[in-house]
Amino acid sequence: MKPANRIQRGMVAAVAVVAIAWSGGCGRKSGTSSKDPILIGISLPLTGDFSEPGKGIQRGYEAWAKVVNDGGGLLGRQVKLKFLDDQSSADRVVSDYEQLIGKDKADLVFGPFSTRLVVPAARVAEEYGMLFVEPAGAAKQVFEQGFKNLFYAAPAVATDHYNHLAKYLLALPEGTRPRTAAYAAMDDPFAKGTAYGLKAKLEAGGIKTVVDEVYPPNTTDFSSIAAKIAASKADIVVGGSQYQDGVNLIIALQQLSYQPKVAAFSTAPTEPEFAKAVGNKTEGILAPTGYTPLGKFPSNVEFVQKYTAQFNGPPSEDEANGYTTGQVVAAAVKAVGCVEQGPCQKKLVDWLHANPVDTVVGPLKWDDKGRPQGAHMIQQWVGGKILIVLPENLKEAEMVFPKPAW
Amino acid sequence: MPSGSEPRRSAPALRPILRLAAIAVGAALILSFPAIAGNPYMVTVGIGILNYAVLATAWNFVGGFTGYISLGHGALSGLGAYATALLVTVAGLPSFAALLVAAALVAALAIPIGAAALRVRGASFVIVSIALVLILVLVFQSWESLTGGSRGLVVPRPFPALHRAEHHRVFFFLFAGLLALALAAWWLIDRSRFGLGLKAIREDEDKSEALGIPTFTYKLVVFVVSAALTALGGGLYALWFGDLDPVFQFSVLNGSTVVLMALLGGVRHLFGPMLGALVVGAGLEYAKLEYGDTPLHLVATGLVLGVVVMVMPDGVIPALSSLVRRLFGPREASIREVTAAELLEGRRRAPPPPPEPAPPRDDAAEVSR
Amino acid sequence: MVSGALVFQSLVLGVLLGGLYALLAAGLTLYFGVMRVVMIAHSAFLILAAYLAWYFHRETGLDPLLSLPITVPLFFACGVAIQRLLLARLRPATRTMMSVLLTFSIALVIEGALGTVFTGTQRRLQLPYSGASLELFGARVAVVKLAAFAMAAAAMLALYLVMTRTRFGHALRATIQHPEAAQLVGIQTARVAGYGFGLGLATAAIGGTALALDSTIYPSLHWRWIGPLMAIIVVGGLGSVVGTAIAAMVLGMAMSLLQIPLGTTWAQTVFYLALFATLAVRPQGFFGGRLAKRF
Repeated sequence: MKPANRIQRGMVAAVAVVAIAWSGGCGRKSGTSSKDPILIGISLPLTGDFSEPGKGIQRGYEAWAKVVNDGGGLLGRQVKLKFLDDQSSADRVVSDYEQLIGKDKADLVFGPFSTRLVVPAARVAEEYGMLFVEPAGAAKQVFEQGFKNLFYAAPAVATDHYNHLAKYLLALPEGTRPRTAAYAAMDDPFAKGTAYGLKAKLEAGGIKTVVDEVYPPNTTDFSSIAAKIAASKADIVVGGSQYQDGVNLIIALQQLSYQPKVAAFSTAPTEPEFAKAVGNKTEGILAPTGYTPLGKFPSNVEFVQKYTAQFNGPPSEDEANGYTTGQVVAAAVKAVGCVEQGPCQKKLVDWLHANPVDTVVGPLKWDDKGRPQGAHMIQQWVGGKILIVLPENLKEAEMVFPKPAW
Repeated sequence: MPSGSEPRRSAPALRPILRLAAIAVGAALILSFPAIAGNPYMVTVGIGILNYAVLATAWNFVGGFTGYISLGHGALSGLGAYATALLVTVAGLPSFAALLVAAALVAALAIPIGAAALRVRGASFVIVSIALVLILVLVFQSWESLTGGSRGLVVPRPFPALHRAEHHRVFFFLFAGLLALALAAWWLIDRSRFGLGLKAIREDEDKSEALGIPTFTYKLVVFVVSAALTALGGGLYALWFGDLDPVFQFSVLNGSTVVLMALLGGVRHLFGPMLGALVVGAGLEYAKLEYGDTPLHLVATGLVLGVVVMVMPDGVIPALSSLVRRLFGPREASIREVTAAELLEGRRRAPPPPPEPAPPRDDAAEVSR
Repeated sequence: MVSGALVFQSLVLGVLLGGLYALLAAGLTLYFGVMRVVMIAHSAFLILAAYLAWYFHRETGLDPLLSLPITVPLFFACGVAIQRLLLARLRPATRTMMSVLLTFSIALVIEGALGTVFTGTQRRLQLPYSGASLELFGARVAVVKLAAFAMAAAAMLALYLVMTRTRFGHALRATIQHPEAAQLVGIQTARVAGYGFGLGLATAAIGGTALALDSTIYPSLHWRWIGPLMAIIVVGGLGSVVGTAIAAMVLGMAMSLLQIPLGTTWAQTVFYLALFATLAVRPQGFFGGRLAKRF
């Protein structure tokens, strides 16, 4: 190769290297002067498989930031949220948090959506010594990774989401109790975790599993899974779903005129677009939830009011999870009195391990692995609205059993 | 009179020195990058670019020498990554031993794969290479008991005691080492008779076969070498990143970004793919920092690829160099030593020579000619 | 425990699926026959057509089938443009390889554009008859699947009529069989190639709309389709529309039946296994007859 070419190439390389290094090197310093805004770094799946719930969490975070800023800020400083879109990809979420912590020097980080993304993101935060409160990593593997800085901002872990439903079903008299169950779960730790948590309890109680299917996240064609479920004529169908896959499975089951006595799906039925997506044939569909807008906790009343004003509609579980995360972190920051990278983060972690926090989903406290110690409620679509039916003391409507035809 | 077709001469002794100097400067810049970079995040960006450079150079063994455009090298890097990960987690091998064994396994696997894929040419080869990636996504997603499926496979760190920032630094140098290995291998083949045979295949496969080059064997050997290096790249990435997802590991998009990098930099040159990786990788990272992750990146990548294919299939840098030379360099003379205008002038001044008498027509002489 | 009803149900589903696949793959084999081009962007155009159908329905509330009079001519024109302006300009020596990259870049641009305009949120047509079904000899058949099959059958019939009964169809088939001979006979192969491409993309418009009736669409969905479609055209014989149709039915039914024991994901591998088997055993394809070529 001619020397001229080689030199040209070398110069191009040098320029590129210097350009990247220079652009990367400039960034803010953490914990700067007291009147600068507090930078909170967040990576969320705003596009891709988890985009619906991801956007919900974003709205929750934004609502929290507005409430805090309108009230004078945190420790007297305004909070600024920086969102990055990880496109529901575990690779991107890691580089996003590396960027937020390493380059942007965020003072705090909030967690992303979905267990699949939470585990790698939490590892980044843990290794940089940052507090990691997350709104959506509920599967048991999250808490088995040995993370010390992680806290899940909702009442219960995935396998316990359906506890009240399991109790209700197993308490039914012999004649009316369902005998068989079909399970279809996305190969996602959370979605599968909820379904398999229920499966374990129902099997222990004598309800036979006749279909047990697991599908990858980008599955869109459910005709064969639906055909198997319909052919099995199972009394109960349990979907461990996120959003669109739940919708598609329900439509596929409707197309086959399969009529179960109980239909329980995670996440999908609680999303705002759900009713329209399944042709408004929602009567009787059950979903676990950690949150209800009608809950009477004091911070919840304020949250619902301000959220509805900001976004023209009431919040649902994802937004509440985001808001709760903000509340938990804010409580720690206010109690400890510092907000920056470094030893401050360990103080925040220690405080949360020792103290409960009042949130829109009630008082939360955690064990040493970050697991919350509460329980989820069960909602059902009744008369065109989604309402709490279990547990008895919190219910807004009577449970509809068996499920009416689609 | 000097003819325009002779190469421009510079002092002969200078060329190897200039070459070595340029390489030394480049190497120094690369090795000092972790120190220049302001924070660990930039080091991860650097690792990403080095990873791309390794993959692009490894791809270029097949693409550059034989001319076969494989969009399926993502399959090989993904296999390298998962093989390394599984050897560490399931078989309990130490990390770098697992890396080497994994590369050997993928190279062994590349023999039947290559034998099947290289039997067909052109369109079928491309279809097979893409199909390989797509089937592996399905297999690795479904076989969740082994691979963790879409829940991901966690790969333990080779150096658990290292702080995260240090971990990034160490792997930066490891990747740089792997890149040097790949470049050395490419350079060796480039200079060898084996490489000459491969380039003949690229120019015209049938004629090379007719000339006695064992085309199938040559193609297979270079494919296996390419596969081994690609698998090393994928495996090293698995050890560094620590979390594998089938959709990201077996990605036709990733594979074709690597192809774009090699094309952009120039497939016929040693440092072409590396430079392409630098430019495209830096461009993608810069766009991400400024504008966030948007689908516009896909549009931009597609447009750049399309432009490169239509306008400069030999690579941007050769195209730019020739453009620069045409615009600013000394005017290259034509084969004729004088211009047409001067020739016309000369003819006008001198009288035309008298026409030669026609030789007598001699049929016998014609036939014997 | 596999019941006869389940097998029958899967068989019916397989037939419906196969018909749809035949339409989706028909265009792909046409491009190949006409120009020896591997058009990776075909499935991206399918998804684009699906998005247009969804968008049409969302904005106007009308049935998406009514968008076909707009999309079909539009795609036809696009196809002609791509062939004349881009593909014809590639150097013939490296055309096959470069066309892969070029059409790949078109696919990326389409995917990126869809993601930018419509975001990555998964979309689904919400028709009043989305959940409705008919009973057919004991199997329940979704109305939307039947509609998609009907569209595919109609389009394939139209394609067949064009190819066998019109002069243009004859010219196209001649160009596919032997371009030089066709030129010698007086056929304007350059123009015919352009129209052939347009025809292929027009089938993509119809196929995409049919797809949209019962699928969830998102910008990167085309990756899920390009593999099976390429496998179908290779098994059927590159360049042969009849071969593609037969291969599509066979593979569609095979996949549907295999879903019972293997589940959806493993069943999709049948396309790739058939592809590898074909290339190993009979690279010119099984069903294309004399028209299929070895490439």
